[in-house]
This record gives sequence, C-alpha cells and structure tokens, in this order.
Amino acid sequence: MKLILHSFLYCCLLATVAHCVELEVNPQVKKRLSLWLEHRLRRNLDSVSVEKTADSENFVRAEEVRDNLLPHSRTGISVRTKRSKNPVSPPRRQGCSLGTCTVHDLAHRLHQLNNKLKIGNAPPDMLSPKGYGRRRRSVPEQRPSRSQEQDRPEWRITDSQVHKLMALLKRT
Amino acid sequence: MATRGMDSFARSWMVALILLCNLTKASMEVNETQQQPPTNVYHDLLFTRNKIVTAQFECYQKIMQDGVYERQEPMCNRTWDGWLCWDDTRAGVASEQHCPDYFQDFDPSEIVIKICTDSGQWFLHPVSNRTWTNYTRCNAHTSEVRVTAMNLLYLALIGHGLSLTSLFISLGIFFHFKSLSCQRITLHKNLFFSFVLNSVITIILLTAVANNSEMVQRNPTSCKVSQFIHLYLFGCNYFWMLCEGIYLHTLIVVAVFAEKQHLMWYYLLGWGFPLIPATIHAFARSYYYNDNCWISSKTSLLYIIHGPICAALLVNLFFLLNIVRVLITKLKVTHQAESSLYMKAVRATLILVPLLGIQYVLLPYKPGGRVSSEIYDYIMHILMHYQGLLVATIFCFFNGEVQAVLRRHWNQYQIQFGSSVGNHSDALRSASYTASSITEVQGCYSIDVNSEHLNGKGFPDADSSILKSDSPFA
Repeated sequence: MKLILHSFLYCCLLATVAHCVELEVNPQVKKRLSLWLEHRLRRNLDSVSVEKTADSENFVRAEEVRDNLLPHSRTGISVRTKRSKNPVSPPRRQGCSLGTCTVHDLAHRLHQLNNKLKIGNAPPDMLSPKGYGRRRRSVPEQRPSRSQEQDRPEWRITDSQVHKLMALLKRT
Repeated sequence: MATRGMDSFARSWMVALILLCNLTKASMEVNETQQQPPTNVYHDLLFTRNKIVTAQFECYQKIMQDGVYERQEPMCNRTWDGWLCWDDTRAGVASEQHCPDYFQDFDPSEIVIKICTDSGQWFLHPVSNRTWTNYTRCNAHTSEVRVTAMNLLYLALIGHGLSLTSLFISLGIFFHFKSLSCQRITLHKNLFFSFVLNSVITIILLTAVANNSEMVQRNPTSCKVSQFIHLYLFGCNYFWMLCEGIYLHTLIVVAVFAEKQHLMWYYLLGWGFPLIPATIHAFARSYYYNDNCWISSKTSLLYIIHGPICAALLVNLFFLLNIVRVLITKLKVTHQAESSLYMKAVRATLILVPLLGIQYVLLPYKPGGRVSSEIYDYIMHILMHYQGLLVATIFCFFNGEVQAVLRRHWNQYQIQFGSSVGNHSDALRSASYTASSITEVQGCYSIDVNSEHLNGKGFPDADSSILKSDSPFA
C-alpha cells in the first residue's frame, strides 16, 4: 500500500518535471538557434558567401535548408508551387489541449469575448481592401543591403531593443 | 506583481527543477535566465507588435539569404506583406499559409490566401488597386465562437448549480446519519467536498473573473490568488478520485480481509499533494508567463497542473480494469449465467467511470478541426460540469445503505406521527432495486463487519457481500 503510494508520488513528480523541462528547453534552444542563425548570416554577408554550402546544414533550420537548396538543385519553378506551410509561422497550437484543460480554455475564451476594449483584436481596416499586402519591398537586389554595413544591435527580444529594431526597420 | 524575493525564489525553484532533470542543460539555462529581466507586466499590444516585428526581421533575413535564381516563367517576387512572409510563387498559383497568431480573434487553423496572377504580379484588390492578401478568413468565425462560448458558459453554470445542490444534499445525509459513517463514506465525503469546493471556485472564476474584463484589466492580486485556489482545488478533485480508486483497489484486489486502512495517507494525497503542482505552476507562471489574472490557456505551463492529473487518471484506469477483472473472476465462481455476469461487470464499470474520472482518459486530446473541436468541447464540458451531480446521484441517492437508512427514518417518522401512508414504502422498495451491486461490493461492511456502526443489522459476511449481487435491503 505504502509502496504503491510512494511510487505513484514519484511518478507524478517525474511527469511534472518532465513537462516543465520540455517547456523550458524548447524556447531556449530556439533562441539559441536564431542567435546562431543571425551570426551565420552576418558572417555570410561579410565574406561574400563563398563557402555557402559547406557548413550551412549545421546551423540552419531544416526549412531554411530546404529553401536554400531546392531552387538550386532543380529548375526552380516546379518546386515551390503551392505552400500551405510557412517556416516563419508554423501552425502550431499553443497551450494545453488535454481534456481536463477545457475549463481554462473556456475561461480564456470568455475573457477574450468580453474584451470590450478590443485590445488584441485584429484592426478591421487592415483586413479591408486598403489593408494588408500593400507594402512591396520584395526583391533583395532592389533594396540597398544596408544591414551589412550597419552594426546591428544584438538580437534579443527585449522592449528597448525591439523599439530600436523597429526604427531600424523603418529606415531600411 | 511578483516581488524581488519571490522572483529569486521562483528562479531557484525552477533551477532546482531543471537540475533534477539534466545537469548539462541546466548550466546552459541558468545563464540564459539570469540575463532576462523579469517581465512583470504583460501587454497584449506590445506582445503583438513584438511578434510582428520579429516576423518581419526573420522575413527579411530569409529574403536576403535565399539566393536569386533565374526564372523560366513569370513569378511573383518574394515579399513581406506587413503580417506574413511570402515566397516566390509561380504565376497563376494561390499561395496559402496559416493565419498568424498575432491577434486574439485570429484562428491559427484558418488559411490566408495570396494570389499570384497569371502575369506574375501579386493580386491587386479591385477596390483599392493595391496589392492585397486575403486575411478575412482568419476572424470570419468570431460570432460562432461567441455563441459556442456562451452556450458552454450556461452549460457549466447549470451543471455546477445542479451538482452543488445534489452534493449538499448528499453531504447532509452523510453527516446527519451517523450510522452510515465508515471509511468508504469518509472518502466519499471528502470527494464530495472537493467537488463542492471545485464547483464554487469554478463558478466564481467563470463569472467574476473571466466574464469581467475590467477586473482582468486591473489585474488585482486577488484574481491570481483565486486562480491559484482554482488550480489547487481542481487538482484536489482529481486526486480524491485517485484516492477512491486506490481505496477500492486495495479493498478488492490487494487485501480483501485487511484491517482498516490508514486514512492519513489518503488525506495527504487528496488535500496535500495537489498543493505541489499548484505552487510550482504559480511560481513558474509569475516568472515566465505573468499575464493578467493568469487567465490565458495558451501556455504550456498548464501541463504542470494537468500532467499529474493525467497520471492520476491513468492510474485510475489501471485500477478500474483490475477491479473489473477481479470482479469477473469472482463472479464466475458463483454465477453460471454468463450474460448476467457480464451485465454486472459492465454495470460496475459504468458506475465506477464517473467516480474515478475515466471519461477524461477515454477522450484525452482535443482534435484539431473547428467542428470536431467544438463537438469535443460540448462533450467534455457536459462530462466535467455534471460529474458532481452524477457521482452524488450514484453514490448517495442510489446507494442501498443510504436508501435503507432513509427508509428506516421515514418509517420511524411515520410511526411517530401515526400517518396512514403505506404505499410510499413500496415505491421506495422498488427504487432500491436499482442500487447496484458495486456499491455493495465496495461497501464498508467487508471491513466494518464487527463495528458497532452498523446498529446490529444482520449483514452477510465480507466475501459473500462481495460476491452477492442482490441487495440485502430488498
């Protein structure tokens, strides 16, 4: 009896810890990856991308590797026809989707619906015909590659740096 | 509103947790976590803007990184449209992506469409004559979502109201009639009490916090405290189901003739253990995801609460299967008729499912689609909010002992006042046949046979009460 109880308690603790750590590790790894990515990009731009394919697989995410290689390997047209998935915003469901979580889900949904100030809702004018999709800064060679010469701030998502970055992006 | 001391405590907690699991990873992470300033205030707007800016930055990185290559046919150029990044697209193809999660009313499972026209130009909206991406589907279902949410709210409130009524009546019966008290009933009392507390706090949370945007905007400490209490009581509820499972399993499978079990362990597991995940969650939430009133369900930190609950439910499933197995083997010894045997086993299972919370294991994960997830929501909410009513009905109102005690007192009352009503007892008598064999199987007389609580009523022996199918009160 005692043994069962004890072993169960340990199991619960283990499950909790496992969940926590999985959760803590993932964002960190991701951030690290993006840091690497940025480093690598800067390196790439400085040296005129001579050894481009050599070690790219180690640092670049799988999606980017695919994007890098596929256009070169084939004729370039037939590959990227129709994409339902984008590496920038993968359609992943955040949060708890267990059956017992439905109560929190309902509370969250009610909170969103009762948000009378509409904070966090999509601005309707952006969805309208005059809304998004209007910016056209598409092809890389048309844009002056300013980001090369400027010493960009270190990429960390904190408030002040985001403001800096926004200003930077506005200038480009 | 975490203070400095709280933060350092939370940090040490998390570090301890991480250390527990992986030392090498921990050393990496400690550096990372100490660089980050604690985010005490969580602004939706700033959060959204951060996300958009980050996406834009990544998009430009990608645009520059991807090499330019020669094209044989007209293509639409890769572009950043203001919300999403679009790759080079062949002419005449509609490029699709999932909706971004920048806004609360955007559904990430819906699709954004950007059309590349045959001429190799991105689609221009005829009204504005500007390049345009179709984001309208992202929040097209907002009104339906509202209707569903309100239905679910009313469903929950009615369910908890009914549950509270029936649970209060049951608890009144259990506490009033001392002759009923035994270990099993003590466990029932605790389970019912946890149901009551959970219902009360859930009603408070749904009506006073979730439905009150001013409160969430003000973000007082009290709403976080209520959220903490809610999560604690939520855990208590499921851990008392586990206690019932452990008790039954010990009683029926492990030791049929054991002496009284120590209830202290049950109290510790039922009321004490859920404090641990609730506390860890509170610290983790205040440190890593400190949103207003902790109302958001879009964080994986909730698994700190629901992981142990799931483990408890899985253990209960194992207990249920084992109990049913033992029940069938024991019934096989005495009964010849196979059909009645299986009927009894099925009935026992069905009765034990709400007590042990097995329904959550049978439907563990929310499906992805919009319609299917809506159906799932309805089913889950009905099961969750009406469970108290169901459990009170089965384990108090349909319980043979309870019915017998009630009937005896009713008869005494009748004799006392010389009433001429005689037909009612017949009705009650027939109702008592619905008392299931399982309430008897898990009955306390297998343990309390010699105790004085039974008021000298002639109960059958322990093993025969387990094996017997007919109610002795009939």
